[in-house]
Amino acid sequence: MEEVVLRLEDATYRHTLYAPLPLKPWRKISGQGIFSANLSLHKGTVLGLVGPNGAGKTTLLRMMAGILPLQEGAVHGFEKESSTILSDVDLRTVVGHMPEQVRWQGGKTVRNALLEIGEMRLVSESRIDGLLKLVGLRSRIDAPLNELSQGMRQRLTLAAALLGSPKILLLDEPLNGLDPVAAAAFIVLLGKLTDKGVSIVISSHQVEGLVGIIDRLALMHRGQILAEGTMLQVAQQLNLKIKTEVSGEGIAPDFSKFLTTSKHLKVVQSSSNWRAVLDQSEPGLLHKFVTEGIEITSWTIRQPNVIEMLCAATGQSIEDVGLEVSSTAVMPLRTFRGEEE
Amino acid sequence: MSDFSRIMTLAKRLMRERLFSTRMYIMFPILLLFIPGMAWGFSDPNIVLPGGHQPESPMEVLFYASLGVVFGATMCAVLLSYDSVSRERASGVLELRLSQPMPRAHQALAMILGSWRAILVPTWILLFCSVLIVRYRMGEWPSMFDCLIYFISTALILLWYVLFTLLASSYTREQATAISFGVGLWFLFTFLWALVTTMVAYASGVSIGQENNAAWLMLEGGLDLLSPNGVYHHLLETRLPQIERGIRAWQIWAMALAWTILPCWLFIRRMEKILP
Repeated sequence: MEEVVLRLEDATYRHTLYAPLPLKPWRKISGQGIFSANLSLHKGTVLGLVGPNGAGKTTLLRMMAGILPLQEGAVHGFEKESSTILSDVDLRTVVGHMPEQVRWQGGKTVRNALLEIGEMRLVSESRIDGLLKLVGLRSRIDAPLNELSQGMRQRLTLAAALLGSPKILLLDEPLNGLDPVAAAAFIVLLGKLTDKGVSIVISSHQVEGLVGIIDRLALMHRGQILAEGTMLQVAQQLNLKIKTEVSGEGIAPDFSKFLTTSKHLKVVQSSSNWRAVLDQSEPGLLHKFVTEGIEITSWTIRQPNVIEMLCAATGQSIEDVGLEVSSTAVMPLRTFRGEEE
Repeated sequence: MSDFSRIMTLAKRLMRERLFSTRMYIMFPILLLFIPGMAWGFSDPNIVLPGGHQPESPMEVLFYASLGVVFGATMCAVLLSYDSVSRERASGVLELRLSQPMPRAHQALAMILGSWRAILVPTWILLFCSVLIVRYRMGEWPSMFDCLIYFISTALILLWYVLFTLLASSYTREQATAISFGVGLWFLFTFLWALVTTMVAYASGVSIGQENNAAWLMLEGGLDLLSPNGVYHHLLETRLPQIERGIRAWQIWAMALAWTILPCWLFIRRMEKILP
């Protein structure tokens, strides 16, 4: 297993909400946030943070970036087999953070905007020029920020996140606004960074697009990390099995003749063809079909996908996860320390 | 690079950005009209002020010309800094800044210094022009100490307005609210403070506006310490021996210090806790 570079241990942060009362207009309560998050980042790997809207992905990234202070728990940094508890400033030194959708604006040039951020990390001008080249903004180096497209702004934000050569890179919805070619180039760049030992955390709603990029997956819901590990490990944790998808022309065959159990079968019949999904593998099934002369047009063994994992972890259907924000964002799933006041 | 030089470098960048902004190009003619323009007008040898008064010394002319600072430069300070935090917060750039290892207190200091110097540099240049105008028109230089107090006091009043505006900008998520707060505060101290003074005098049973009434002068002088514009005028009056309002110099400088340190501390504290 890869070396751990950062570990969150029971990290908690709850947003403060105003809840005025007639005689106490300044009253505040603790609201949603992150509850006892435990997460390890491994050197040179990409971790995908996946969860429905309001799950707490951005809040968790901000905690890891040292922007939001931990209210409980600790962040451990690992270097040469020694572990230290990292303060917010320590975190900001080793972490590069790319926030979601930074709207760079003004008459300032691209180079000056980056130089200004670079001053805070004591980054040299040559490094800044190099970064602008790396993210493909060399030709726009003297362009005013107002003239940048959304994709160019994303690239500039990435360049700002890479200032100071961070060991850990946090990317919040990095593919937003990038055209397909730029997105592909971006993924290649991530590969180069991981080869250099940079650990990357990506939060994204575009879950299917993440599959090819990530090494590990963390599923989030209501401010908690429900499952974490490689795709296979997460699938096993959630008791999700490999599925078999079979399709053919004409009328669907009588599966009860071929299957030992029909409990895990879903058949969809359309006018000219049929499609069946088996939740469990059935040894010798293909051979039986061929022997019986049933025409099959496709036979696919499919790993559980991220959406299925998310649904399994949250106990919700696709419609609930995708559309209903309020049900997912307000209260934590598990009991947490200290109830709402 | 030391922390101090890093703060100064960042402040310089912020200053340059604001100094050469479109806003400054619009405001500079206004400053030009208000600051040297007033010095030109008040240094006219034939000028007669209300009550038949005529300015006698260069410092007195500079004192009257300070109205240009109160009306023009302070408003420009508000207009230059109102979006320093709120715009960056709305655009997401603040989140990037907050994720940098530079301590937030240092970032806040750089922001204060950058915004302050952006209005201070043109104002000081114009004050210097005013001194030259007074010399040209009256044939007499103000003393070095007069000039020092004039320049320092002006720097302080600009700093106070910048601090109020930055503080408002850090609390508001909308730039319109930040500018409303800044302009509202400017309006209160520039125009409405006389009304506040009058109301307090009325409530205290003091005759209003009697120039020879010691109680009125004391009350007006005391209440002026609670307004940045009032403290500014008190500071300038320390160089005008003919004006006596019963407030001691140490009280004035103590209030000037309080007006500087308190909002500065509040802004730094606010920036240390701000959320993107």
